[in-house]
Amino acid sequence: MKASKVADTCVTYIILLAVCFIFFFPCLWLILASFSKSGSIYSFEGFFPSAYSLDTFKTLFTDTAMYNYPRWFRNTLFIAVMSCLVGTFLTILTAYTMSRFQFKARKTMMKTTLLLGMFPSFMGMIAVYIIMTQFGLINNMWGLILIYSANAPMGYLTQKGFFDTIPSSIDEAARIDGATNFQVFTRINLPISMPIIVYTTLTSFTFPWSDFILPKLLLKEKDLYTVAVGLMSLGDTEFARFAAGAVFIAVPIVILYFCLVKFMVNGMTAGAVKG
Amino acid sequence: MKKKITALVLSGVLCAGLLSGCGGDSGQGGGRSGEGTGQAGGEASAGANTGGVDLSNIFSGELEQNVTIRVLENDTAIEQGYFRELIDAFNAKYADYGIVAVDANMDQYSNLADDGPYGYGPDVLYQANDVLMKYVEGKHIYPVPAESLECFSQIPENAWNAYKATVNGVQYYMGVPVNVQSSMLYYRKDLLPEDWETTWDKNGNQVPDMVENWNDMYRYSREIVAKNDGHYGYMRSLYDVYFSSGFLFSYGGYVFGDNNTNADDLGFSAGNAEIGANVLLQQAALMNEGCIDDSITVSAYSKLADGTYFATMTTPDVYTLFLKELRLAYQAQGMSEEEAGALAKENLVITEIPKLPASGDLTEENPELIPLKAMGGVNGYAISAYTKSPNACLAFVEFAAGYEMMLRRNEMLGIVPARSDVADAVGGVSEIMYHNLDAGNIVVMPSIRAVEQIWTPGQTFFEDLAKDAFRPEAEKKYKTLDDIKNGLASVDVQIYDAVHTLAGTN
Repeated sequence: MKASKVADTCVTYIILLAVCFIFFFPCLWLILASFSKSGSIYSFEGFFPSAYSLDTFKTLFTDTAMYNYPRWFRNTLFIAVMSCLVGTFLTILTAYTMSRFQFKARKTMMKTTLLLGMFPSFMGMIAVYIIMTQFGLINNMWGLILIYSANAPMGYLTQKGFFDTIPSSIDEAARIDGATNFQVFTRINLPISMPIIVYTTLTSFTFPWSDFILPKLLLKEKDLYTVAVGLMSLGDTEFARFAAGAVFIAVPIVILYFCLVKFMVNGMTAGAVKG
Repeated sequence: MKKKITALVLSGVLCAGLLSGCGGDSGQGGGRSGEGTGQAGGEASAGANTGGVDLSNIFSGELEQNVTIRVLENDTAIEQGYFRELIDAFNAKYADYGIVAVDANMDQYSNLADDGPYGYGPDVLYQANDVLMKYVEGKHIYPVPAESLECFSQIPENAWNAYKATVNGVQYYMGVPVNVQSSMLYYRKDLLPEDWETTWDKNGNQVPDMVENWNDMYRYSREIVAKNDGHYGYMRSLYDVYFSSGFLFSYGGYVFGDNNTNADDLGFSAGNAEIGANVLLQQAALMNEGCIDDSITVSAYSKLADGTYFATMTTPDVYTLFLKELRLAYQAQGMSEEEAGALAKENLVITEIPKLPASGDLTEENPELIPLKAMGGVNGYAISAYTKSPNACLAFVEFAAGYEMMLRRNEMLGIVPARSDVADAVGGVSEIMYHNLDAGNIVVMPSIRAVEQIWTPGQTFFEDLAKDAFRPEAEKKYKTLDDIKNGLASVDVQIYDAVHTLAGTN
């Protein structure tokens, strides 16, 4: 019995390690390639660079005449942060409304959004482009923020599911004590919904952060490029710069994750109904 | 009842939507609607009434004042600082008119057909002739009054032909040629055999035989490969239609009939084109499998620099990239930047592509040699039909195509000028290529829309051909010249089908 348990554990760990390796190897390769001294993928010995240096990262931030990575980074950060703030706000409001309030078109709206959410966002690319030209929002980062923010509430179902799990008895108790709807939302439900708010914030940030299609479509000027579009515009011989740029874009997401993860855990462990 | 009303309303909306297409052109987008009858956008109607567009309606000669023109240049020109010099010089000259040229700040490959109609495109574009001429059908660019430009007589007819378009029986020049682009041979002088002057210079002209003809290049490559130390002689990605098709043209092949204007006549298999393809097959046998895809193209910069490759063939505009890689390689060996730069310049040689054997047999001793007719392009300036300042744009184009700026462009970018006076003045590669163009040894890429359809079928064939060199004997597909001819014939059929079935005619 004991031997079979050990064998089971070993097999499980071997499988997990193999899966980890499969997922981690490309990341490792890209990270090492970003430190390649020669900057060329063809000077690698086997899979990995033959010599390492920090020059590529230095070039990434200092040689900005043709490829202005710092500016792309600032543009991406601005778009992602603003989309994240507005998108999270709208998504939480939508989910809360759908979860807590009963109104006439509620079911229809839920079905409609569910249906619309099934279509891929790039399906309406041409329409989006034409609409944006009419609004004068081509070559304007607010155009992207508008689209990302407006699209965000379409994925409200996860958040609604979370709000559904919070007992309505809490709301009723608050209302008996004289709380308004707004107070019930901000004072009662929001504090115990931190995990889903954090989740929504992270997803609202990561999508605009890594999106390529929309920025490519709407931002024509090089000065307005986001990191994804900028990296795709690099020349054939700029592989190391591409790798360094691709590695560096992970930094804000990692920081954001470590800043927010404690709220996720705190929210999960916070209880509302005592005894 | 409610349902009937809803159905009626929906039907009405549908009909309104359908009928909305029947209205007149509201003239949306940029300056195209307001340029009078001579606009490129109105070519068809103007042509029907007058036999052609009166260019004076577009280019009145009166410069627009206090305008900004957005110019799309290529990345190399921007990176090397040439474009800054160009617009500074232009802006200084036209300061009294308040005309300011600025960088369009867009991707060098951006598509005017997408951005122009909505007012986001550049006013002046610098792109290759096949790209610029794609805009003709959609009337996205203006014809230019070429004969009235100072550069007209200095640019050879072959280059102007790349920008010729016929609308309603009238011919127009749709752009101004600036730079001739074709294949050149790059090689490392320091990788030549030490005794090349005695053993590899049969005609005693102080030029190594292996860079003069493909037979000796083949022999030298075979010697290098035989050492089996991971080094190669001549290397080139063969899948690339732009570079490989020249071997077909040299033996009678062509792209389209009637001087590349007739998309009904495909000629990849014409003449003895299969002999040219067979030359490629022989070359592939001395390369590695990187010749099947773009591996060699992308790695050539570093591989030529580290001595893995002796020679390659590509366009002259990437000379600075090769030079940079070689300098870095020398620096890595411990030389100073200055020393490395000087040595790189000395050892990296760019020269005319070698001559081919008339028989197509690379192993033949003392063959009769014929010139290689390489595919080429003519990069130039065109003026967007959406610009609000066509006269200012024309002034910019004329300025940029002038002697001084073309000379400067050559000095800074190493490009081959389309102007004969500049080519003669700078000599070297520019002179060689200019005269190759003049002599018809550069086959300029067709300027009709159907050219879009040649790349994929051609690439598929050349990939398959290159693969054949690495197939086991029993599995080889191209064992005889007839097999190759049949392969090329199927390329012609595929292109014809693509042009006439999928994309419509030119």
